[in-house]
Amino acid sequence: MADTTLLEIDHLKAGYATKAGFVRAVDDVSLSLRRGEFLGIAGESGCGKSTLAYAIMRLLRDSARIESGRILLEGTDLAGLDEADMNGYRWTKLSMVFQSAMNALNPVLSIEEQLVDAVLAHRSIPRAAARDLAMEMLELVDINADRFSSFPHQLSGGMRQRIMIAMALLLRPDLLIMDEPTTALDVVVQRSILQKIQELRQRLGFSVIFITHDLSLLVEISDSLAIMYAGKVCEYGPSRELYGAPAHPYTKGLMNSFPSLTGPLGRMSGIEGQAPGLIDPPPGCRFAPRCALAEPRCLSGDPVLAELSPGRACACVRCGGSL
Amino acid sequence: MKYFARKFGMLIFTLLISMTINFFLPRLMPGDPAKALMDRMEGVDAEKLDSVRAAFGLDTQDSLPVQYGKYLLNTVRGDLGISLSRFPMPVSTVLASALPWTIGLMGLCTIFGFAIGTLLGIWAAWRRQRKLASFTVGFFSFIRSFPYFWLGLCLIYAFAFKLRLFPLGGAFSIDQARGSAGWWLSVLRYGTLPAFTITLSSLGAWMLMMRNNMINVLAEEYITLAVAKGLPAKRIKRVYAARNAILPSVTGFAMSFGFIVGGGLITEMVFAYPGMGYMLYQAVNAKDYPLMQAIFLIIAGSVLVANFIADIVIMFLDPRVRDGAK
Amino acid sequence: MIKDFLKTLVENRKSLAGLIMLGVLIFIALFAPLLAPYPPKADRTERTALIEETVGDQETLSEERLSDDVEKSTYVVATSRKWEKTVNYFPLRAKPSSAHLLGTNHAGNDLLSQLIAGTRISVFVGLATGLFVTLVSLTLALLSGYLGGVFDDIINFFTNVFLVIPGLPLMIVIGTYIPMHGVLPIILILAFTSWPYPTRLLRSQVLSLKNRDFVMASRMLGERTSFIVFREILPNMISIVMSEFFAVSLSAILAEATLEFIGVGNITVVSWGTILYWAQANGAILMGAWWWFLPPGLMIALTGTAFVLVNFGIDEISNPRLRKR
Ligand SMILES: Nc1ncnc2c1ncn2[C@@H]1O[C@H](COP(=O)(O)OP(=O)(O)O)[C@@H](O)[C@H]1O
Ligand SMILES: [Mg+2]
Repeated sequence: MADTTLLEIDHLKAGYATKAGFVRAVDDVSLSLRRGEFLGIAGESGCGKSTLAYAIMRLLRDSARIESGRILLEGTDLAGLDEADMNGYRWTKLSMVFQSAMNALNPVLSIEEQLVDAVLAHRSIPRAAARDLAMEMLELVDINADRFSSFPHQLSGGMRQRIMIAMALLLRPDLLIMDEPTTALDVVVQRSILQKIQELRQRLGFSVIFITHDLSLLVEISDSLAIMYAGKVCEYGPSRELYGAPAHPYTKGLMNSFPSLTGPLGRMSGIEGQAPGLIDPPPGCRFAPRCALAEPRCLSGDPVLAELSPGRACACVRCGGSL
Repeated sequence: MKYFARKFGMLIFTLLISMTINFFLPRLMPGDPAKALMDRMEGVDAEKLDSVRAAFGLDTQDSLPVQYGKYLLNTVRGDLGISLSRFPMPVSTVLASALPWTIGLMGLCTIFGFAIGTLLGIWAAWRRQRKLASFTVGFFSFIRSFPYFWLGLCLIYAFAFKLRLFPLGGAFSIDQARGSAGWWLSVLRYGTLPAFTITLSSLGAWMLMMRNNMINVLAEEYITLAVAKGLPAKRIKRVYAARNAILPSVTGFAMSFGFIVGGGLITEMVFAYPGMGYMLYQAVNAKDYPLMQAIFLIIAGSVLVANFIADIVIMFLDPRVRDGAK
Repeated sequence: MIKDFLKTLVENRKSLAGLIMLGVLIFIALFAPLLAPYPPKADRTERTALIEETVGDQETLSEERLSDDVEKSTYVVATSRKWEKTVNYFPLRAKPSSAHLLGTNHAGNDLLSQLIAGTRISVFVGLATGLFVTLVSLTLALLSGYLGGVFDDIINFFTNVFLVIPGLPLMIVIGTYIPMHGVLPIILILAFTSWPYPTRLLRSQVLSLKNRDFVMASRMLGERTSFIVFREILPNMISIVMSEFFAVSLSAILAEATLEFIGVGNITVVSWGTILYWAQANGAILMGAWWWFLPPGLMIALTGTAFVLVNFGIDEISNPRLRKR
């Protein structure tokens, strides 16, 4: 596949208006994604990963909104579309798999109903044709056709998540955003789902943004990685390089918290402390208070992403980031 | 089917409890209402005194359990005793004349109130950012804290006394031949104000319940998924949000229906509408205990049956309930 | 915890408005005798005025000689007073006037005074029932949730049974049998028919709290049950308990007025409900006497609104989804 850019996120800011102030959960994030690429986004929970995903899908509602920045999908700025135009993009160009399939599936509608209505919302085809399409997709994720008329509560967790994936791929979107799709599942099912995604990707050729708080999941499968901390991307680059030589102290910390394959099973070392609040965070590097390598200058300004090599960047004074 | 059996068992049991309350009330009361009543009726014909005794279970040598058994049997057969205020009419005959009026008035109002209230609730939740929606919610919350009967009084004062648009009370015009077209028209005219009272005050409860359910449902992730799927807003509102939000409303029917029926009874009293409520009012004031108790039993029975129907409806609407998963 | 709760309650505009209205009502209830222009059951005013007084127009002098050098005199000055008692009967069924701002009823009682005095009974019955029912329900809910097992099954079962038996007709029937002295019987009747709903709600709250992590942890650590119940479960139930208290109080005020209006209850007591009873019994509407039946209903509605407003606030505190933003 050609090396063309599919999605370009440009200085995106988004968050939630609350009584206490504006929670800027996504703070000046820029990323880009090529066609067919698998981008992993990792970070502790609460760092704004879901908000980013919701912002791309334009799902921020009520108190939540995109403040500024652009989300360019093949050159169209999604952030600037009105609701009707956005509906034309949703599910046909980009779709999403949510963390908890149990909560994301409507408990009182059958699987059939929920799959078919996604098709019918975008294609003027007879219901029977939509049904066939849905059946076909279910087969791809190894769900038996006799499950078609089941209700969500009648299925296992793994099945539900595979149905979510089938639903997301129904209209062959270019981009699939997965927000912690395997977090609610046990390890064995987790494995099989990840394999399924890889297999489908080879077949259908879509790009993936895979969000997780568990960096270890991404080791084998992602092409590139973005590490988020407190609303910001703190390190970004091709997976292999990032694993080989993590530059940001936070990335190193995340990697240290992998369960060791050889060592005793137990609690991983992790990073001490808590991320700062996202309402008017203090000046300086947001990671500094928890960083073992913090210096006085870290507290005086927020480092911006500095390019280490083409396609690889880090936001830390120690890797040449400016303040 | 297990669900059905359980609900049916519950229906039978609650009916039994209602009958049991009814049986023991006159026998447990302090101050001996039977004696007070008989003292008052000193000198009345012996036949009437006998029926008072029967009503309080003073006419037999039977032990309490035997009395109870006989009472249950009689009640199930529809023998509810003799009315004291309309002696010697059997209670069941007295009630037969009142029942159609109440069923007509309350049945229609409950359906109207539920339908309109639910639709308003959906609207108020969907458009909750709008001034008009919050105003409507505020208005109905205010109305809901009115006593039913007082709302009725105010409407009578405004529309019947001052504006003379509607009659002051009753259910039909006595000038028209019963069953004629004119008579039916008069039934509509006489029924308007009471119906309006009941609908207005019950509507608020349904609306607020639906609005809160709907707001809760709108925050669910399956709504977010529906938006992400690019479904048209109308479909999300109807098939995803309202469809799910109505489930607790149907369940909540249990609590609200009894309440609304209570309000309806009072409304009948205010409008002298010749249904069960007005009859209850007359029975209370005439201390016609058998009639009063029979009315309680019938009202309780209908509320319980209505609840049972709601339980069955929920079974069709919610697959989780069907499978016993909830 | 309680402090936090009260603080958020006062910060919420709706509940603050409700609390203020409630405060005013309680003030009126407490100081009713001072605020009301007449006693509630007075049908006349009596005034006694001095119209004539004469001092010293009679004089008695008596002298007594005890010995040669001691002489004693006694003077008596007589006073005569004339009183006049004016009895001013209130007009019957009078329109509002400066003497009777809301007119008078069929017995000539001042309706404004009755309205003020009635505040006492109505607010008292409402709050007392609310408190009583809330305590009973909370106890049942805690016992049910905590003892579990058969006990829980029984309570749950009877809650569900009594939940669906319609309350108002039952109240009317019981109320007709019971002789009404004072207001206690009516409070008991109201309580008897209104415990199931709060019990059910509080029980499910107890059950869900019982399975929360922090309570599980305490149980694992072997904390005393009393500690878990009073320090961990109860503080987290404040908002739901308060909201039930206000909801029960509201329905009690409405139900009390309803029972009194139809003549079940003690009609010799002066309350909003009995004012309406007498208004209806004397055809106030047909006289066009809006000043007779409108104010008591408005007072009930205002009281109800106060409770509803407070509860709106509590709802918004405990269910953030309902918040505007
Ligand atoms: N509805 C909301 N209102 C206010 N703050 C929110 C809301 N949802 C999320 N947040 C805050 O935004 C931040 C990012 O949340 P989220 O994007 O869900 O993080 P992640 O997916 O990485 O766990 C968190 O600090 C969270 O507290
Ligand atoms: Mg998340």
